[in-house]
Amino acid sequence: MPFVKVARAEDIPPRRTKFLHVGGKPVILANFSGRIYATFGLCPHQNNPLEGATMWDNLIDCPFHHFQYDVTTGENHFPGNVYPKDDERLLAQLRPLKTYSVELRNGEVWVDLE
Amino acid sequence: MGKVARQVVEQAGVNVDVLLDKLIRAAGAEFTTFYYYTILRVNAIGFDGEGLKEIIEDARIEDRNHFEALTPRIYELGGALPRDIRGFADIAGCPDAYLPQNPRDIKAMLNVLVEAERCAVRTYTEICNMTFGKDYRTFELALAILHEEVEHEAWFSEYLGEGPSGHFRRGAPGDSPYVKRFMTADFK
Repeated sequence: MPFVKVARAEDIPPRRTKFLHVGGKPVILANFSGRIYATFGLCPHQNNPLEGATMWDNLIDCPFHHFQYDVTTGENHFPGNVYPKDDERLLAQLRPLKTYSVELRNGEVWVDLE
Repeated sequence: MGKVARQVVEQAGVNVDVLLDKLIRAAGAEFTTFYYYTILRVNAIGFDGEGLKEIIEDARIEDRNHFEALTPRIYELGGALPRDIRGFADIAGCPDAYLPQNPRDIKAMLNVLVEAERCAVRTYTEICNMTFGKDYRTFELALAILHEEVEHEAWFSEYLGEGPSGHFRRGAPGDSPYVKRFMTADFK
């Protein structure tokens, strides 16, 4: 799928997120250290929308259960950092958040939703 | 439910349904944390664990107090706790604080505890931000809980050697110095 324009960069200030639908697909944009990242817009834990999610350094924090994901990789940080590693049921809750490639073109945010 | 109690909050610009969702999730997290901290406390044994046990007990009892203090406000605003406790646990606003894979690993236990408290600090900061200058009663309650959650985080964080805070543990277990004024049935 080609890159599609989804927002203007100025709409996502540092440490902020912006939730939107692109062609019916929920997407969330996050500004970490001046760079914009894009991920799927539903938390993999229980498929709740990440609308209103907050940023803590590189971590995006789901407003429903406060599961946290590294926006640069999509990997779960919390509670993955404290859940026991021998419980398959718990480990299944720690699926990563799908990340998308982002390009900035003349102040516009373009995302490859492939 | 307090009809005017809810109306004044709505008229101040707060989406009360969203606020109630956050309060019920917060209450769920306090209730489940009380349960999981019980398991952590009984497993805090040995040279390192016994020293930690009393601090876990303070946090455990105070988290239960937070649940007690939140519940009346939920009903005042027209909300309700889920009828099924299983559903209540599922919507808890923070992940469960499970006993580590190795229960004798006290550092792993401390990480569970400190991360649970950090989740609580974020939760009540959000509620304070949402209600500041609009819903005075919920704000005061959330702020009181936040004070105690910040101290809990500091206790466990210091145990991990992350730096001094100047706090000290309670004079009596689970004293809730900030929240007890909201618990008129429990504290004299």
